Amino acid sequence: MTSSPHLHRRTLIRRSAAAGLTALPAMAALSACASGGGGSGGGGKQQNAPGEVTERNPFGLTADSGVEVLIFNGGFEDQYARDVGAVFEEHYGSVEHNATEEISARVQARMVSGNPPDMINNSGADMMPLPALLKEGQVADLRPLFDAPSWDDPAVKVRDTLLPGTVESGQYGGQEVYVLNYAFTVYGTWYSRKLLHDTLEEEYPQTWDQMLAVCEKAKKQGIAGWTYAGHHARYLSFTMMPMMAKVGGPEVFDAIDRLEPGAWKQDAVVAVFEAYEEIAAKGYLLPGTPGINHTESQTEWAKNKALFLPCGTWLENESKADIAPDAEIAVGAATGLDSSDALPFGTLYATAGEPFIVPADAAAPRAGMEFLRIMLGRDAARNFTEKVSSLTSVAGAADGLALPPGLTSAQEAVAAAGENIVAPRFREWYPVFFSDVMGVAMGEMMAGDLTAAEALDRIQAGADAVAADDSVEKYL
Amino acid sequence: MTATASPGTADGPRPAPQGPAPRHRPGAGGGRSEGGVLNVFAHSFLIIWVVMAVGPVLWIVLSSLKPTGDITGSPFGLPTGVEWENFTTAWTEASVGRYALNSVIVLAFSLTGTMLLGAMAAYVIARYEFFGNRAVHYLFIGGLMFPVFLALVPLYFVMDNLGLLNTRPGLVLVYIGYSLPFTIFFLTAFFRTLPGAVHEAATIDGASHTRIFFQIMLPMAKPGLVSIGIFNFLGHWNQFVLPRVLNNADEENFVLPQGLASLMVQQGSYDANWGALYAGLTIAMLPILVVYLSFQRQVQAGLTAGALK
Amino acid sequence: MDTQVSPVVDPPTPASRGGPGARPPAVSRVALAAALLLPPRLTPESVRYDRRYRTVDRYRFVCWFLAPPLLIYTVLVIWPFLQAFFYAMTDWTGFGGEFSMVWSGNFSRMWRDDAFWDALANSLVLLVLAPVITLALGLFFAYMLNAGGRHRRSESVGGVRGAAFYKIVYFLPQVLSVAIIAIVWARVFSPRSGLVNTGLEAVGLGSLAQDNWLGGSWARWVILLVLCWSFVGFYVVLFSAAMAAVPRDIYEAALLDGAGRAATFFRVTFPLTWDTVRTGWIYMGIQALDAFALVIVMVPRGGFDVLPTYLYLKAFREGQAGYATAVGVVLFLITLVFTLVMMRVGRRDRIEF
Repeated sequence: MTSSPHLHRRTLIRRSAAAGLTALPAMAALSACASGGGGSGGGGKQQNAPGEVTERNPFGLTADSGVEVLIFNGGFEDQYARDVGAVFEEHYGSVEHNATEEISARVQARMVSGNPPDMINNSGADMMPLPALLKEGQVADLRPLFDAPSWDDPAVKVRDTLLPGTVESGQYGGQEVYVLNYAFTVYGTWYSRKLLHDTLEEEYPQTWDQMLAVCEKAKKQGIAGWTYAGHHARYLSFTMMPMMAKVGGPEVFDAIDRLEPGAWKQDAVVAVFEAYEEIAAKGYLLPGTPGINHTESQTEWAKNKALFLPCGTWLENESKADIAPDAEIAVGAATGLDSSDALPFGTLYATAGEPFIVPADAAAPRAGMEFLRIMLGRDAARNFTEKVSSLTSVAGAADGLALPPGLTSAQEAVAAAGENIVAPRFREWYPVFFSDVMGVAMGEMMAGDLTAAEALDRIQAGADAVAADDSVEKYL
Repeated sequence: MTATASPGTADGPRPAPQGPAPRHRPGAGGGRSEGGVLNVFAHSFLIIWVVMAVGPVLWIVLSSLKPTGDITGSPFGLPTGVEWENFTTAWTEASVGRYALNSVIVLAFSLTGTMLLGAMAAYVIARYEFFGNRAVHYLFIGGLMFPVFLALVPLYFVMDNLGLLNTRPGLVLVYIGYSLPFTIFFLTAFFRTLPGAVHEAATIDGASHTRIFFQIMLPMAKPGLVSIGIFNFLGHWNQFVLPRVLNNADEENFVLPQGLASLMVQQGSYDANWGALYAGLTIAMLPILVVYLSFQRQVQAGLTAGALK
Repeated sequence: MDTQVSPVVDPPTPASRGGPGARPPAVSRVALAAALLLPPRLTPESVRYDRRYRTVDRYRFVCWFLAPPLLIYTVLVIWPFLQAFFYAMTDWTGFGGEFSMVWSGNFSRMWRDDAFWDALANSLVLLVLAPVITLALGLFFAYMLNAGGRHRRSESVGGVRGAAFYKIVYFLPQVLSVAIIAIVWARVFSPRSGLVNTGLEAVGLGSLAQDNWLGGSWARWVILLVLCWSFVGFYVVLFSAAMAAVPRDIYEAALLDGAGRAATFFRVTFPLTWDTVRTGWIYMGIQALDAFALVIVMVPRGGFDVLPTYLYLKAFREGQAGYATAVGVVLFLITLVFTLVMMRVGRRDRIEF
């Protein structure tokens, strides 16, 4: 038995829209006066008869095709998207730009009533759970976008301008590409070169023995070896996951991504957990770390209270107020165990991140895709990199730009990694398991509440539970 | 819930007894043997709890005057200098002023609405015989039994279907709806105790029902209205769950408790810092504390009367 | 509303039918019924002078006064509550318009859901401990304030000096928003710049400082502490009022019998205020079952859940609105059982005085 309580309003809206938008402006006005004009714009814009499709205008928009976008106002803020909007408006109709830190709260109801914005930057702690959206058929397939001519050169398709793996990172088990991951994020161990090289007179550790030695030396000078976002302990995975791949090879991730029995009991996984447990056990953690959030941990790290911090490339922008100008921050590839590791030093966790989607029920999905096509153009991508100190998925877009130190080091790390760029997928596929089971268990291990073995037991049990849960969609 | 209600009904009509200070009561003399020891014992416990109750609040207020360096550097010490800038940052950049304004607007309508509609329904239920009187009364009182969390998810979508989600009128209506059961329960009991003679005399004089209600009965019910009014005032002003779910789309529209909670979460990331957060908390607490200290008897009476649901 | 009115309007009273002499021209029932919708001023005179008009007037008043509150209440309170029981049997995500019935599926899933059991256990711990601790402290302080003072010549029992001051201070947390309370205490327990850790270090007890008061194994005790903290003063005031209502001569009799303060408390004060205590117990239990704001603000995600926060996460973060509603039904049942049990267990004959 299937019922649909909201269909009524949904059809109502569609019909009234078809009937010349008589009812809707009244409704929109009603709610607009109440909500201060915020996100009620769905009814306001019109989906005009498509314009001519050309290679410069592959989605056939016209001069009055509007678009409504919702941007996540987080570490990247939203100015870069306003700049894209300005370009959009030069060619087509007006852009209704909204930005929020709480994406789900802002649009969940509009998704239900079939009246979502045309493009959503579905990111942040309050992002909508993509698996639930996919189950409902709420997300448009973006292949038309990836197969369209690129903004800068119509002879080249959009997909051919992107870094390898970008398109695949938006796939959920099939050929359809539901997500554009725009920011190319490098994850790793962040440190201040000044602190490490000049104050401690050490080099970046490549083996775990070196790591422990550096931490010991730092401790003697009153500097903690590590800190991390205790309240979001999943950040630990940004350095632990690539270390697993370095120790055991990329196959380690295959078993984890497929939720295979015993995936979290692989030798490489156990070795990495025990290595990190040692950091905590030897007292190299900044006191209080388990109880602080990500910004607090980044502030403490920027104040040189701790040497290393697991994070992604958004760090440089997010903590720019705290990072000393001469700190020369850098991101290091995962420290390995020893010379018997499967992959060489330099193995890097890097992947396209920062998801953008086009809702299937949007009034103007093609306008939403055009917005993304502009965003994937060279100028917009360079602008993004300059504004927010993060690379994009557009290949070579940042070439020749004067980048801040952290981002420069990230670029160098990507070059040094060569083929050995790895990224687990279960983080996007099973986000609840990732943050609430794996992340929490990692945190409790570092806090000393669990041993490495207990933490792994917990994580494995969680993975088994997800595997057995019919209500969770599986992607491999 | 009827049995729990009984003490409330007993206390309700009076503006909840704020017992006269016992020491004025005359009585026979008693033994003084254990007095001294117990007195020290009692006082030390009482004073410990004074520190417990005021300490954290005082710490926040003191910290709001400190430069951020002091706050993280020496959280325990007295401020090295006074940093009024925390307050301007909180008020403008961290939008505490805006949140406060939102709260005031919502409260103005929700409190008026609750008191008016609650009094109307309670009056009719208490003093008019009509078919379904008891049913309506129990329908309202029944609402006291349900945890708001049970309704939360459906309510979200009901609001959405009505176009009220994330709107100020919507929030006002929800506040009213969820305050009605207790308000009506309390005021019904109160109206029942008012003397009937005045009402009859007015009727004979030809006053309309509406006029009797507004010009005669409401003024007579003033003590009860004040108690329940204070209860609802604090309830609405401090409400967190409902706006958190039903008014969460746009930070511009956050009410004060919600805005402060979100400030705390994004602490340090953009335009806020600890000093500003503490200043924001202080701004949010001070008016309430002033009101409380000025009317503490009525506030205590109003809130404890409220407990007896 | 109409159905309530019609039976009363219809039967014309014997007086109006057989009334003598100068009766105004009869108006039709339709006109009378229409008058229900008109304000008195606009009602035509012919209707107003009808004998039946008084009844119409009364019912019109009742309807007009009841309709607005009843409408708001039904649509925003009753209707969602009823819907909840329906959604609890569906697999609705909360993101699409469609869902199918899973009947008891959500409840059998709950049975196997460890995270749900954790949240339930935490809620139950709070439900049991918070009222006991809070009420015990409330009674203790209230008794101290009312009978803990030095005996003076003219009194059998006396309150301590400054009782009014203590009550004002104790009650203070009650007027603060629970969100503010949560933030204040989250800062107090912050490991690196909070009052607790730095305070412990300042007095040489640094070894007791914890890295993570708000997560891990400490979280539930911190939440319990804050929950009790915010309500103790409330109960002090409540119980003080109840104790002040106990007649003095009962105390005097107890004292004449040679009862000490403790004995007086357990033999006199406690039994005589039991009704208030029991009501307070139920009220505190309901507060403990909520604890939403405290947990959602103070505790990092994944650290510690109570039923309401678990429900919130499922509904508004993970797209499982149906399952979340089923959790809400369980929460409702617990509230119901708790209230009924408390009302039964605590029932005694009311002591009249």
